[in-house]
Amino acid sequence: MDMLYEKIHNILTTMQIECTEAEVTDFANFALRKLWNQYDKECMDQRVIIENQVKDLQIAIPNGTVGKEYETLFKIPTDLVDDFWLEGLENSGLTCTITEDNTCQIMGVPTNAGTFDILLSYKYKGWIDGKPILQRKFTIAINPDPRTLWKDIPTLENIEYYQPDRDHIYIKVEAINGMPQKDIVAASQRGRSHAHEGNPRDDHFRVEYLDDCGWYLMAVADGAGSAKYSRKGSALACDTAIDHCKIFFADSKKLSDFEEYITTYNSESSDEYRKLLGDSIHQLIGNAAFKSYKAIEAEASVKGIPIKNYATTLLLAVCKKFDFGWFVASFWVGDGAMCIYDKERQYFKLLGTPDEGEFAGQTRFLTMPEIFRDATSFYGRLKFSIEQDFTALMLMTDGVSDPMFETDANLNKIEKWNELYDSITHEVELEDDNTESQYQLLKWLDFWSQGNHDDRTIAILY
Amino acid sequence: MRRLPVYLLLDTSGSMFGEPIEAVKNGVQVLVSTLRSDPYALETAYLSVITFNSSAQQVTPLIELSAFQQPNFEASGCTALGEALALLANKVDTEVVKTTVDVKGDWKPLVFIMTDGEPTDDLNKGIAEFKKRKFGMVVACAAGQGANTDTLKKITECVVQLDTADSATIKAFFKWVSASVSTGSQKVEDAGVEVTGLSELPPPPPEVNIVV
Repeated sequence: MDMLYEKIHNILTTMQIECTEAEVTDFANFALRKLWNQYDKECMDQRVIIENQVKDLQIAIPNGTVGKEYETLFKIPTDLVDDFWLEGLENSGLTCTITEDNTCQIMGVPTNAGTFDILLSYKYKGWIDGKPILQRKFTIAINPDPRTLWKDIPTLENIEYYQPDRDHIYIKVEAINGMPQKDIVAASQRGRSHAHEGNPRDDHFRVEYLDDCGWYLMAVADGAGSAKYSRKGSALACDTAIDHCKIFFADSKKLSDFEEYITTYNSESSDEYRKLLGDSIHQLIGNAAFKSYKAIEAEASVKGIPIKNYATTLLLAVCKKFDFGWFVASFWVGDGAMCIYDKERQYFKLLGTPDEGEFAGQTRFLTMPEIFRDATSFYGRLKFSIEQDFTALMLMTDGVSDPMFETDANLNKIEKWNELYDSITHEVELEDDNTESQYQLLKWLDFWSQGNHDDRTIAILY
Repeated sequence: MRRLPVYLLLDTSGSMFGEPIEAVKNGVQVLVSTLRSDPYALETAYLSVITFNSSAQQVTPLIELSAFQQPNFEASGCTALGEALALLANKVDTEVVKTTVDVKGDWKPLVFIMTDGEPTDDLNKGIAEFKKRKFGMVVACAAGQGANTDTLKKITECVVQLDTADSATIKAFFKWVSASVSTGSQKVEDAGVEVTGLSELPPPPPEVNIVV
């Protein structure tokens, strides 16, 4: 007989229990089995209690984003769990460290997007070798980096009214008698939302400097996103308006009269000259806008479709330096922004008011006949201004002004104009004759702003 | 930035117990993970979940998609759809930003309602509150034959019906909701206009029937 059974036999004998060897073995097996079951049940009860408590623990795991630093902490009470570890974290690119006091820190920079199942495995309080390792599942959601979701599909070149996905220009005006002259830089970039679908850029610009008379001409237009051929609308608007101005300035009589009215008005500021000047501005800028409208109307009628398919805004400015300062005349219909800005004097002047309606998508377009029908409101869109000097004259579509100013009210805040100008000059070297700045400006237009992925166009005279 | 708020009103009454409620939970999960890979929705859409059984509760306050955490809910009790609509109206007041001179407000909220039975509370009271607010598209879904589409027509013109409330059908519905939110986000970002009718949403799958 085994030692253990012999001992049990002896105990039983002292208890005056007579039994055979077979009975001792049978009894011992019976007793141990019964006790073990009792023990095991108690262990299990204990385990289930803890398991439920762990299951009920509020562990908040915030979502992460690919490429963005991630860190979160959670703690498991030491009276429930002796030791724990996480499995499945590696797929997300995160790691974790667990300290003595059961604090778990998940951190790192997520590399993959998705919903990851994480297994928290733990040795519950009182766990000994042979007992099961318990587990609790949770998930950690990693968002993709929104920037990587935007596709850049080139526009098919065989579509109607094709225009390149980006455009840029630098107009260098040579110094006169050693005096540096203002230059123009302009750039236009297709918006991410268009690029994502392989849709064309609807914005357009056209800028010129007229060498023989010293006039600067600038036009920026934003074709409506909802209009099928708005890219042609914006192009026609800019080109027709600028061409009209060029024809006007090529007429020496008109040019000399106009400049005379400006000069005389500046010195006298009489009603008579105000009217003469106003009429001239109307002939120049007002007719430029009207001709643009007519050109679009003609294009639409050739196609046999309504003009609203060509819906576009138009911001137009012409200016020239006189010995008394700068003369600027402008026309503005639709959203976007047009402004004279002087950094040193902390001065700005909006050349009109944006046409953003109370609700989104209610902007006015050049292609609306009512723009020209109501004389008062039409004249209200024509502005002129005489400035001693300025840092920059800027024309931009709402793809730039929306993310930069957010609301129309902010267009009236100098801080906002400072922010815009600082943001530009941070990346774009607006130095005299710096032809490179057109590429810098194009690159600047790629700035990231959540939810703002419209076409962006800006023209700067500086 | 102008957000596109999306409210899901989900029936978690006792009749949804079992397969339907699991399918709804799964549907929400699929909806969110699908939208997260859509750049328009990821940046623009904000999501809230309101569940209703014997009462209505907002289990997820309006939150950006990237931070959305799957809510947990169980099926039990009756169908307080009226209270859910009143709660929705109340939440829209506090969560949706209105346009002022200094702030560009949010887009009008999209609402998707899903129910499998007749409302058990005062629906008209809820509808009265609901109608006082401005919404973009409101789609009501009758899941299975237990829901009365005429009742839902009182809430919105856009009513769809699922023949059965099994998991495959519910999943198909949520996929369509997801595609609709994508379309809505793209429209506001691209063209600056909101979706206004079912015809502007992606065509629903065969499991989802438009009720005329």
